Amino acid sequence: MLLGYLFEALKNKVVAEQYLVDIFNELQFSDIQAISKPGVNTFSQLQMMARKKLTSFSRAADECADADGKLKDLVIIGNKFIDLMSAEQQMVFCGVHYHGKTTTGLAAQLSKPEEEIKRILKESFIIIRKQRNDTATVHR
Amino acid sequence: MIQLQYIDSGILEAYVTGSATDTEVKELMYMKAKYPEVNFALQQLELDMEHIAQHMAVMPPAGTWDKISNTIDELVLRGEYDPKQFTTDARDNNYHNFKTDNSPHFIAVESESNHMKVHKNWKWVLAAVFVLGKIFLGCAIYFYLENRQAQQQVQELKTELKQLKK
Repeated sequence: MLLGYLFEALKNKVVAEQYLVDIFNELQFSDIQAISKPGVNTFSQLQMMARKKLTSFSRAADECADADGKLKDLVIIGNKFIDLMSAEQQMVFCGVHYHGKTTTGLAAQLSKPEEEIKRILKESFIIIRKQRNDTATVHR
Repeated sequence: MIQLQYIDSGILEAYVTGSATDTEVKELMYMKAKYPEVNFALQQLELDMEHIAQHMAVMPPAGTWDKISNTIDELVLRGEYDPKQFTTDARDNNYHNFKTDNSPHFIAVESESNHMKVHKNWKWVLAAVFVLGKIFLGCAIYFYLENRQAQQQVQELKTELKQLKK
């Protein structure tokens, strides 16, 4: 799953694999203990580590939006959750999730209040949750 | 209720996507510990993130695990050891009265094993040395035979020259 996330963010399988190997190789014993504690979502913690590592790359990589704030045509291809989002939601979700941007940074970039960015991000998660619940109902 | 307002504020979403500030993270950790509703909402968001990742999961190439396990194998878990507290007789601190159990009273400095551990990368170095050794040996045998044949030819030519002179 982590490789899938890295591949989506980096758009290069070889580089994504190298990042995956580096992330696991850089894990200290204390990190392993921290992420495997009861009640802690291990994947989520690993994804946060990956996102930190990607930050330097993300700044140099393609942005989700053009300089004028217009959404690019191909943000993430084949992700059904992102496809369900509006252009604005995609821009915020993609910027935060794949490009490691902060809500403050996005607010400045899009000339919107930070609360508005958080609201848009929350709406994106509502879409994901709805999709997750629908999938669960179908499988049930 | 404050916890519901907090959940609706969007900070939890910012946290799971790694875009929350340090202050927000600290605040969230506090709220998570204090309010089970916040903890539950956070767990659900983490599951949402996991769900997206499952949908876009990619099978790692065959050699990926080997690259990771090489490093993990070097991490050796140390067994938990609970040292006993040092106690003395309060009435008499004479060293003869120190109570000791049957545990070893010295630290083993030298390892008992006669084997030496080397990094796995050395196997490729040793393999290369072995192959190069074989190549040099083959070359040495080849040139030795060539040299011997050349010497025989020189010897034959000398003999022929001597016979011609006669």
